Amino acid sequence: MNAILVYCRRDLIRWIRGRWGFISALVTPAAWLIFVGLALPIRFTDDYIDFVTPGILVMSTLTASLQGGGLLILDRMLGFFTKFLALPAPRESILFGKILVIMIRGLIQSTIILILAFLLGATLYNPYQLFITYLILIIFGALLSSFTTTLAIYIGDHDSYAAVNAMISMPLFFTSTAMMPYSVMPEWMRIPAAVNPLSFAIDGIRIVQEGIFPLVQIGLLSGMCLLLMLISVRAFRRVKL
Amino acid sequence: MDYKKRERDRPCKTPIVTHDLTRYYGDLCAVNRLNLEVENEIFGILGPNGSGKTTTVMMLTTLLAPTSGTAEICGYDIHRQPELVRKMISYVPQDMAVDVRLTGRENVMMYAELYGITDPAQGTRSALKTLDLADRADDFVKTYSGGMRRRLELAQALVHNPQVLFLDEPTVGLDVAARKKIWHHIRYLRETGMSIFVTTHYMDEADRYCDRVAIIDKGIVKAIDTPDRLKSLISHDIVTATISGIYSGFAIPGVTYAESRGDELVFFAQNGEKALPQILDALAVQGLSILAMSIRRPSLDDVFLHLTASSDEDAGPFNLSTFRNILGRRG
Repeated sequence: MNAILVYCRRDLIRWIRGRWGFISALVTPAAWLIFVGLALPIRFTDDYIDFVTPGILVMSTLTASLQGGGLLILDRMLGFFTKFLALPAPRESILFGKILVIMIRGLIQSTIILILAFLLGATLYNPYQLFITYLILIIFGALLSSFTTTLAIYIGDHDSYAAVNAMISMPLFFTSTAMMPYSVMPEWMRIPAAVNPLSFAIDGIRIVQEGIFPLVQIGLLSGMCLLLMLISVRAFRRVKL
Repeated sequence: MDYKKRERDRPCKTPIVTHDLTRYYGDLCAVNRLNLEVENEIFGILGPNGSGKTTTVMMLTTLLAPTSGTAEICGYDIHRQPELVRKMISYVPQDMAVDVRLTGRENVMMYAELYGITDPAQGTRSALKTLDLADRADDFVKTYSGGMRRRLELAQALVHNPQVLFLDEPTVGLDVAARKKIWHHIRYLRETGMSIFVTTHYMDEADRYCDRVAIIDKGIVKAIDTPDRLKSLISHDIVTATISGIYSGFAIPGVTYAESRGDELVFFAQNGEKALPQILDALAVQGLSILAMSIRRPSLDDVFLHLTASSDEDAGPFNLSTFRNILGRRG
């Protein structure tokens, strides 16, 4: 069996058997959707749930991806990483195993969010729109989990990683178009929002609902994703403890 | 699969050769110009915490880059052919790392698949059987004892039948029975043609189970030989005296003071029977009360003290605390 799949299966089994991580991953997106999607007093649109669903999809993928680095940190602290590095299997398969497991987790969450959103009255996506939505989430997830997993090689301990994690995710989320469109943002926020990879993913999903293929967004995300993966593979091959 | 019958892809006579292997952490020299040749044997590297044992193992397993020098594992250079080196070896680090949410079988199976062996299920079965874990194979590792977890790690390591097995402190934290069992398994693996490179700070274990031992202190190898020959380095008897009071030194021909361990004073004596009453008198003259005395033949402990004391004249041989602090987590 391919080493990537072996690593991925290990993390998936641990995740499901650990129960709480699994349950939390299923519950949190629902909480976001209900408490943000239905409760916020919004004036710029009548269908806020339609507007915010892409934002919550991408945010869940962001959270899931940040856990990718957390998985590696734990492996490192518990001594698994050392053992894996001494194996003959290509070292980058550790990286791709993490990316794959994050992707699977993210897609399970995304599916739950979409089903809930439709139940709560969001406009249904057609199969083409669904396909593009998943495609964007996969590229975005790969981009971010590749970044966080590699980051975890350089940040040694759990506390520091949690700190860096919070430092990255909060500003990234709030300067994105997740909660509001460019038109209602304060002037100064439009620039960070426009260069934020989170916005690329969110805008891409929104654009496809309007029946346009989000070429720019997918192009930018794919480019960044490829670049980061190249860097990450190099980093993993060269790792010395 | 019977480990004895399996053909090794590339039998090598000297599986580990190091050439001036050196590693610095900043200004601190953790391993200094190490030159070793390990054959098909249980090779023990013996030293206190922070003496450079783990650093050595990590360099040989391609996890850590040497500052200078190099090593060959089965003829493959650790700098230029790390992938091939990793094909030849297995490494069990000091920190026990087994997945508690997986069963014993799942834990070993995973490594069988990662090593890419031809029949992972069969390989897993025989590795578990070799380590006496077959009857508990499908229990979650959560329920395993420390000794069983260590054996599970050994099963993971030998599932691809490596040429060289690196074990870093394999018995640390285990009870006496579990230790004995681990060593019994290590010996069995040696008989199947595996070379075993093991670090330990338990002198008695090295003495009993290793074919050859390198004594390392502050990154420098002090001696390499069989435990018996190392012990014969000390032709003296060891006289110990348990006292209460402050020892202030004396001069008796043929007796040298080695160290004190708590209330216990240790002396090397050319003739223990003759020296004992002399030491007793000398101590009594100093007004010390002697609670107990004994004579014994040297152990590997004493060899270690002897070897490290000679290079370290200003302080006692166990003055390693500063070194240990600088090195921090590296054991």
